[in-house]
Amino acid sequence: MNVKQLHILLADDDTDDCLFFKDALEGIPISRELIAVHDGEQLMQFLNTATNRLPDILFLDLNIPRKNGFECLSEIKQNKKLNTIPVVIFSTSFEKEVVNKLYKKGAKYFFRKPAEFLQFKNIILHVLTLLIQENISRPAKGNFVLTVEKSLII
Amino acid sequence: MKHNTQEDELNVANKKLIFQNEEKEKRAAELIIANKELIFQNGEKEKRAAELIIANTELIFQNEEKEKRAAELIIANKELAFQNEEKEKRAAELIIANTELAFQNEEKEKRAAELIIANKELAFQNEEKEKRAAELIIANKELLAFTYISSHDLQEPLRKIQTFVTIILENENNNLSDKGKYNFHRMQLAAERMQQLIDDLLAFSRINTTDHKFEKTDLHLIIDEVKNELRDNILEKQATIEASDICPVNIIVFQFRQLMYNLLSNALKFSNSEIPLHVIIKSSIVKGSLLNEASITARTGTGETDKTMPEIFSPGKNYCHISVKDNGIGFEPHFSERIFGVFQKLHSKELYKGTGIGLAIVKKIVENHKGLITATSELGKGATFDIYIPAG
Repeated sequence: MNVKQLHILLADDDTDDCLFFKDALEGIPISRELIAVHDGEQLMQFLNTATNRLPDILFLDLNIPRKNGFECLSEIKQNKKLNTIPVVIFSTSFEKEVVNKLYKKGAKYFFRKPAEFLQFKNIILHVLTLLIQENISRPAKGNFVLTVEKSLII
Repeated sequence: MKHNTQEDELNVANKKLIFQNEEKEKRAAELIIANKELIFQNGEKEKRAAELIIANTELIFQNEEKEKRAAELIIANKELAFQNEEKEKRAAELIIANTELAFQNEEKEKRAAELIIANKELAFQNEEKEKRAAELIIANKELLAFTYISSHDLQEPLRKIQTFVTIILENENNNLSDKGKYNFHRMQLAAERMQQLIDDLLAFSRINTTDHKFEKTDLHLIIDEVKNELRDNILEKQATIEASDICPVNIIVFQFRQLMYNLLSNALKFSNSEIPLHVIIKSSIVKGSLLNEASITARTGTGETDKTMPEIFSPGKNYCHISVKDNGIGFEPHFSERIFGVFQKLHSKELYKGTGIGLAIVKKIVENHKGLITATSELGKGATFDIYIPAG
């Protein structure tokens, strides 16, 4: 990816989780800019009115107010202007049916928010590294779910 | 004077005779008249007599007719008397029948009144059942909502506690005393345990919502898959898992794999450290009627059957009996029911890991298959799990 600075968009209503995300990025040696929105409507408004540059990646929490992660993902994937944005979904819980549905709807990756901070940081790093390496072409279904173990390999 | 007297006497006699003659003539004339009168009267009487004869003949005829009519009337009368008698009999019978009908009517009214009451009661019960069904639907929805809450909302703060702990342990490590570090570590373990409990509870509650497709399956395939999954554990314990006499089963494959996994990992977990674990899995087709006899005998503890016990198995149906027998540590017989309860454990978690959900899930899966599971064991003598599910 030939950009000097990654534009990362985070959609999460939880203050603590936003803080974790910010802290996780602190330790990652990648030049980036983080913008956070806190509900689904805000997210779609932000994306639809972004004039100059769309985010390079969207980290989308599944359970956000007003418009949930599912609805946002569908809207993004149906919008020609937005459907190239890689969407990484994360959530507290892991449900097989939900994850299958997300894959069908066109999300790039899914991961369950880990309890350990270091693991969280590793997963973020893993995703961003893949993005920079332009390696973030849509994975086979088997690699759709990111796990701590997979992230530790790099 | 002699002459004169004679003459006088003759004169007198003559005069007497003349008078008498005259009298006789008068009398004769009267007699003639009387005679004429009598002749007339006689004629009249003769006429009258002829008339009477005619009238008499007529009367005789009428009399005869009346006698005939009287005889007819006597017959008719007799007939009527008979009919009257019959009618009286019939009337008496009708009175009895009427009384009977009145009684029956009364009984029917009573019965109708009873039926109305019974009907009302049934309607009430029906209403209650509908209410209960509606309540159950609501309760079910609430349960689903609870499942969602526990799957997400409860896990979120828990995860954050864990994350904060790891941040503190990483960033503030130098500022913490050993005791402080230890306590944070304990906190982590407690949170992990809570996480495990929520995950297990969710796994348990999801058992009836997923995949309900029954398939005729070879149990060998499932056993082999599970053995493969537990390979490391089996090697470590030097365990032999033997499956012989296996009949095909009609099951929800995904759930039965979970069942077999839970039973076998349980056997591995509770194996006897002094002898290598040996698990024997068998299955056969049994008639429901035979199972009822066996289960009743088992429950009453005597050779006699107790007819008041409900029959668990449909007598005409075939059941697949799958038994999983191990030679592990076993358990005291009085725990044979409790071990199937949610989060019920017989050992501390320090000794044997786990939340105690495994067998609860097994039982739920068996119940989803409309089956029955029992456990029999004695402490130190291994355990046997018997599963009965409808075959075919």
